[in-house]
Amino acid sequence: MAKGRLDGRLRAGVEGLRHIAGGLGTSVLAMAALVVMLAVAAACLVGIGLLVVPGLLRVVRSVADQERTRLTRWGPAVIGPPPLPATTREALRDITVRRELAWIVVHGTVGFLLGLAGISLPVYAVEDVTFPLWFRAIDPSLGAPGIFWWRIDGLADALGVLLIGLVCAVLTVVAGPGIARLQALPGRRLLVPAGDVDLSLRVAELTATRAAALDAHALELRRIERSLHDGTQNRLVALNVLVGAARRALDRNPEAAAEILDRAQDATELALAELRAVVRGILPPVLDDRGLAGALDGLAAACAVPCRIDVDVPGRCAISVEATVYFLVAEALTNVVKHSQATFVEVLVRRTGDRLSVRIADDGHGGADEADGSGLAGMRRRVEAYDGRLVLTSPPGGPTTMDVELPCGS
Amino acid sequence: MRIVIAEDDALLREGLALLLRAEGLSVVATAETPGEFLTAVETFRPDVAIVDVRMPPTHTDEGIAAAVEARRRLPDLAVLVLSAYVEPAFATDLLTQGSAKLGYLLKERVGRVEQFLDALHRVAGGGTAMDPEVIGQLFARTRPDSSLSRLSPRERDVLALMAEGLGNTAIAEKLVITEGAVHKHIRSIFAKLGLAPDDRADRRVTAVLRFLESAR
Repeated sequence: MAKGRLDGRLRAGVEGLRHIAGGLGTSVLAMAALVVMLAVAAACLVGIGLLVVPGLLRVVRSVADQERTRLTRWGPAVIGPPPLPATTREALRDITVRRELAWIVVHGTVGFLLGLAGISLPVYAVEDVTFPLWFRAIDPSLGAPGIFWWRIDGLADALGVLLIGLVCAVLTVVAGPGIARLQALPGRRLLVPAGDVDLSLRVAELTATRAAALDAHALELRRIERSLHDGTQNRLVALNVLVGAARRALDRNPEAAAEILDRAQDATELALAELRAVVRGILPPVLDDRGLAGALDGLAAACAVPCRIDVDVPGRCAISVEATVYFLVAEALTNVVKHSQATFVEVLVRRTGDRLSVRIADDGHGGADEADGSGLAGMRRRVEAYDGRLVLTSPPGGPTTMDVELPCGS
Repeated sequence: MRIVIAEDDALLREGLALLLRAEGLSVVATAETPGEFLTAVETFRPDVAIVDVRMPPTHTDEGIAAAVEARRRLPDLAVLVLSAYVEPAFATDLLTQGSAKLGYLLKERVGRVEQFLDALHRVAGGGTAMDPEVIGQLFARTRPDSSLSRLSPRERDVLALMAEGLGNTAIAEKLVITEGAVHKHIRSIFAKLGLAPDDRADRRVTAVLRFLESAR
């Protein structure tokens, strides 16, 4: 057991040593880049450096990429950056480039010293541990390896140096991995895409809303299937039956055939009307014709409770977002009419930046509950599918306010 | 022929009744819900019930359950189920009570009045009327290792038409071959399905049942 642990430690130590050596390599490159950087900066002061800045940035990028490759081979993948911006001005404002420059400064100095220290430890360990074997061969005034001020006067001193060597060896094994990690830290922090911290959170959130979107989508499809099936298709079947009957009646009783054809025409008109309703339910054409404000005005005009619409949205939003708002307001107004006993309802639509906010407020008796199947849960799913937010405030006794926020998508 | 219609869509219900009455058939009652339908068949004891698959309350397959229940209560009742789309599961549900006096057709077949009346009479007379679409889908579901897979494409055509409920003359007409050729195919089907001539059961029925069962 103890032997296994020791083995593991030793392996980790060797592993750490390898990383330190690799890090030392890139830090030398970084240091060289840093020297060039300083030279270019100095040249910029007298005005001729700007010409070589693009070349410098390419060099910096290539050194940073070396480090990214090294870190990816060793631990969590360091995702590569987007291509360098086309112009120098843009490049110098680019967050990735700035972070790379910062990394060059840190890794070219601190990273180099850490690498040097990390590599020296095992070298000293070997020299010091073997020192008693060869100290007689050198001039005592030269001192111990790396400790020149220690005058070696005999075996006792040499054995002391051996002890220091042992300490160095232990340090190599124990502290090596830590030094390697410390040396890699600036790269892991500065060379990854900026803003990565909330990336995983964002992924989880998007996964959830995507599921909600699929749910909402399936619900929509079910609704459309129902209305096509129970409406349009049945009308067409009836029409088919009537045409068949008319054809049979033609020979026997032409007058009856005319009457049946009359009915067939009625069925056709019904089918067309229902098809129109279904199509309007998929995407209201009025949105295209008159925009969100016009479409909502239409809803208000048809609402049994007096309704004021106030839309102040410069420009158009994505059509799917407008359609969502339209259906949301339509459903909310239906709820107000059916459940709230309100005497007045107000719909407010505003755009702030790329967010569209909708407020539907009535003066009814409140107490709206998402659990009672009044379509509120479906509305929330629709909103969340667009990465939006729905807040319902409806205390018993009222009033009820629904606040919805959606990204405009444009 | 006395008929009860169970169909929740008013326009279609009236259209069907109009069509059948014009053909001199007697529509004794119409029903909008499964409950009304079961009451009507028990009250009027019709020869045939025409039932829509989708009925209230959920508008999914209440009609199938209602048809199965009606056949259970009145074993002599012929049932013709109309469906807006083909669902082999519906057919196999209905077939658990046997294929006699049973029909399952797509709604659009009603427009071809002669064929629809033909199917109606066949079902009322104790036969079967399966929509070609249903048979096609059931065929598609037969396992490759079943004895049915040994049939030649022509023999499968013949068996499919037998399963639809057609007689030899009608099959010959449909496939544009002689009745003799139909006989030859049927003998070959019996042989391949291992139905010996001395079997007591009607081999024709057995063959069709074997096919329908294989798809269950």
